[in-house]
Amino acid sequence: MSHDGHHSVVIPAPGPEFVPHTVAHHFDTPVQEFQSMKLGFWLFLATEILLFGGLFAAYFYFHESYPETFRLGGHQLDWKLGALNTSVLLLSSWTMAMGVRSSQTSQKQKTLFFCGLTVLGAVIFMVIKFFEYRAKNEHGLIVFSELFHPYDLTTNSLPWFKDYDGVMAGVPHPHLFFAIYLTMTAIHGLHVVIGAGLILWIMKGTAKGRFHAGYYLPVDLVGLYWHLVDLIWIFLFPLLYLVP
Amino acid sequence: MSAHSHSQGHADHGNPALQMGHHHVSSAKMFFNVLVALLILTGITVAASRVDFGGANMLIAMGIASIKASLVIAFFMHLKWDTAINKIVFLCSFLFLSLLFIFTLADHATRRWDNEMHTVRTPVSNEFVYRQQPHPENH
Repeated sequence: MSHDGHHSVVIPAPGPEFVPHTVAHHFDTPVQEFQSMKLGFWLFLATEILLFGGLFAAYFYFHESYPETFRLGGHQLDWKLGALNTSVLLLSSWTMAMGVRSSQTSQKQKTLFFCGLTVLGAVIFMVIKFFEYRAKNEHGLIVFSELFHPYDLTTNSLPWFKDYDGVMAGVPHPHLFFAIYLTMTAIHGLHVVIGAGLILWIMKGTAKGRFHAGYYLPVDLVGLYWHLVDLIWIFLFPLLYLVP
Repeated sequence: MSAHSHSQGHADHGNPALQMGHHHVSSAKMFFNVLVALLILTGITVAASRVDFGGANMLIAMGIASIKASLVIAFFMHLKWDTAINKIVFLCSFLFLSLLFIFTLADHATRRWDNEMHTVRTPVSNEFVYRQQPHPENH
């Protein structure tokens, strides 16, 4: 059909409030398009696992090397805020799953409702994260304004780690836990922000009627991305807030 | 696809709107049950961290997290009903991740850990250079 480049495969719209989907010209069938895109996206998610995996490997190595540093560092975090954020992300993962389901069944308003709740979850998560970072900044455990300043050779100290209250005194390499904490949660937070942006884009397309039972692929893929963000946090929460 | 090979709680199977064969629509009830399970397991994670199991605390925390991750992957991410190739691609990332962890921690386990390692010493210091010289008695 589409080999010659003149005929496109079109998935009809299920109703007047939806628009038909034209299968990309380099695919022969809707099924081929769906399967190829899904495979590519799972492959991308596998690279995401490996990206965070390197950081988790660093965590385990340093945790095994300096367990006291990590336990004391973990105590400086508020586990209640961590648990709250875990619940927020789990709830938002559920609303996202429900949003994808609503898209699969051509329920436009329900898709917008659940995707909107998911974005709300992302916003709540980042607001809580902001207050956590601010508290670390105030105690000099992560001084954000000096984050990218070079190591001070004259005082043999890291400019971003001041520990005003001396809470980390007496353990080796006291900055290490906060370096790992910031790196992992900041990269995770970046994923939260990107995910929220993608969900807003999905909502725009849904409002225009582009996604329905015949073609919900982008909603499905953004959903997978959002669940991955949740997946990473499931491991970050016990490792950072409840350091074993 | 495998969308029709399972039984419980998927009322939308007969919906002609889902005609394309690769679609799988899970029931809202199932999603809610998974959410409840995930929240309960989060509570168990916090409770378990309060008890001192010694070296087992890490294994317990990671075990519970793995169960939670499996629930998210299988149900929220629908991998349970996805194609074999997608399962292989995604789950293989955890296989290679385990290789990374095993070899990294093997390095840690077989290192010499004493005060010597932690002393700050620049590579060009006299002490370092001296240590690289062959011992006079060997000649």
